[in-house]
Amino acid sequence: MTVELLAPEGATLESAAATIAGALSVRERAGRAHDRSYYDTFDGLLHARDAVLVHEGGELVLVRDGVERARAPLRRPRRPFLVAELAPGALRDALASMAGVRALLPLARIHSRERAVDLLDDERKTVVRGRLSAPATTPDGNGVAGRLRPRLSLEGVRGYDGELEALQRRLLSELGFAAAECSLLDEAVRARGGEPGGVSAKVGVALGRGEPAAAAVAAVLSRLLEVIETNLRGTLEDVDSEFLHDLRVAVRRTRAVLRELRGVFEPGALARFRAEFRWVQAVTGPARDLDVHLLEFDDYRALVAPRFRSDLDPVAELLAERRRRALRDLRRALRGRVFGDLLEDWRGYLARLPGSSSAQGPDGARPIDELVAERVARVYRRMVRDGRAIGPGSPPEALHELRKQGKELRYLFELFAGPLFGEQTVTPLVRTLKSLQDVLGRHQDRAVQAAMLASLTAELARRPGGPAALVATGALAQQLLDDEHGAREEFTARFRPFAAKATRQLVREALR
Amino acid sequence: MSVVLATYNIKGGVGKTSTAVNLAHLAALGGAPTLLWDLDPQGGATYLLRVKPKVRGGARKILAGRTDVAGSIKGTDQPGLDLLPADFSYRHMDLALDDFKRPGRRLARVLGPLREEYEHVFLDCPPSISLVSESVFGAADWLLVPVIPATLSSRTLAQLDGVLDGRPPLLPFFSMVDRRRRVHRDVIDQLRSERSDLLETVVPLSIEVERMGLQREPLAAFARRGRAAAAYEALWSEILGRLAA
Repeated sequence: MTVELLAPEGATLESAAATIAGALSVRERAGRAHDRSYYDTFDGLLHARDAVLVHEGGELVLVRDGVERARAPLRRPRRPFLVAELAPGALRDALASMAGVRALLPLARIHSRERAVDLLDDERKTVVRGRLSAPATTPDGNGVAGRLRPRLSLEGVRGYDGELEALQRRLLSELGFAAAECSLLDEAVRARGGEPGGVSAKVGVALGRGEPAAAAVAAVLSRLLEVIETNLRGTLEDVDSEFLHDLRVAVRRTRAVLRELRGVFEPGALARFRAEFRWVQAVTGPARDLDVHLLEFDDYRALVAPRFRSDLDPVAELLAERRRRALRDLRRALRGRVFGDLLEDWRGYLARLPGSSSAQGPDGARPIDELVAERVARVYRRMVRDGRAIGPGSPPEALHELRKQGKELRYLFELFAGPLFGEQTVTPLVRTLKSLQDVLGRHQDRAVQAAMLASLTAELARRPGGPAALVATGALAQQLLDDEHGAREEFTARFRPFAAKATRQLVREALR
Repeated sequence: MSVVLATYNIKGGVGKTSTAVNLAHLAALGGAPTLLWDLDPQGGATYLLRVKPKVRGGARKILAGRTDVAGSIKGTDQPGLDLLPADFSYRHMDLALDDFKRPGRRLARVLGPLREEYEHVFLDCPPSISLVSESVFGAADWLLVPVIPATLSSRTLAQLDGVLDGRPPLLPFFSMVDRRRRVHRDVIDQLRSERSDLLETVVPLSIEVERMGLQREPLAAFARRGRAAAAYEALWSEILGRLAA
């Protein structure tokens, strides 16, 4: 059992050791110095699982629940790195399951001097092993060095629990030590101005029934703006593909609110911001699409016969090239004036929205729950109607359109209906919707992917390995279209529970 | 699943306790989780490791499995080495064992769950031949028998052969040897010609081993470079070799 305490306020390693030695029977030994660097994803995926990734002495170590899980030799990473860049092995596998495609970012580098302070009993036997450490964060690129409060880590020797408890009591009540509220890493992260546990892209804005729509909507949109802003730098620096993804999801949600709850906004402002956010979606689209293609490329290979798989290499190269170009365009756009002004003006508008009736539209003062209930009901009914009209002869666009509506409905649920009417109530509805969206998504994505492949053919033909690549691409495109067809066949079965009487009833009752 | 090694000799003062403590310490130093159970009511090993000779409920409770045996274990100053202490009530352990249906299996039963936790379990036995020793014979995988090369040693070993009938196997070795004494050299030669199971390593008579009682530490903790420590290290290596064979 290990206990961590903070040394008295203002203490140094030496003064803390002296305090303990002065009051208790201890044996001190010089300890080591440590130089440790810590890493986690932007959104704290390791932290969320009680895991720590730390580099020390030429090795990267993964610790979970206090137990070492895997380690690998590695030079100290000074910049963000992807799990895929690590050498194959247990460490990479363990990290992949936790971090996925997210990059591991340096969180803090902590240098600490240590001293062993062991508590002895009257036989001069060690009964508690103590380690005093004086940590300091070292600058790592753009950080500031800072001393953190010294810590005392206590480990009871087996069979001497009573002694450990007594020591703890004495340290806390008489010698000025304090319980450690958070881990050393969290303290270091906070000292560097960061947020322990990372930056979340979740919205989670609490809303109250009866709240005026303008205020509620402004709160949600402000949070979405925050998500856009916090993910901007990672997007521009191309740290990992999730930054752009989270940014686009926040933009998409913003657009959904502007569209579904349009009556809340003054028409002129509404038109401007709708147009500009549509532009943001458009300029960031190609880069994201190519990210997805590249992430899924191994899955594509698996779809074709083994002898075609390596023939697809020129396709991957071409996609990578296109992605580089798309990233350049994206950077130009997001670093430009128009985008900068958009964010600033939008922030200003949202600040004014709750209090100024001139910034509001006709629905601004209505209670948010009423408005949301109305909208959800309307979108849902339209989806039921449109979905029922889909038959074997309907064009694929009909399903694409239904999917778009489904996205808007889902955002209404997630951003508003959940917080207003309770997650318990809303979850079954979201689940049914999600099941439908999955098949609609597959249907549209496969069509888009096949079309994308078709667009590459001219350029592919000109490249080394071109003819073989074309054959393989043809085989892949066929598989994708087959899957699109398969999704179409599943549509009816997935739509049925969505449009069923029980669901209609649930929608009616849930939003009362 | 661990190996249980018991230091045993009907004679006292031959180096059972210093052997048990030093070998257990070396085992733990080597990275193997190790337990030493001091079965001798004199509590020599317990004293050397600075632990109080107390076990809750005493011998009776431990043997009955009513005391949580694991709860009585104490960590020593050496990480990886734990001690199940002696208790003065162990002087009546024979009587306690007699209450059980199969006294010869009793210690093995008590040790059962602990074997999962430790790679090596050492039993430091009291000098006697009794129910306790029988129970030790039933629990041990190997018997470490320190022998002072004086005239009656071969008789001791022969007697043990008779009692054990091969199980557990013996690992006899010469302990507290004074090479200046002719009788020691002669007895060593004699016994080596009679028996093939004697270990090669010889542990010398040493002032350092006696100092263990003052230092209250295993040899390797305070006299690592000395002759005696070197001998115990060599002994442990040789034993590991025998275990692996």
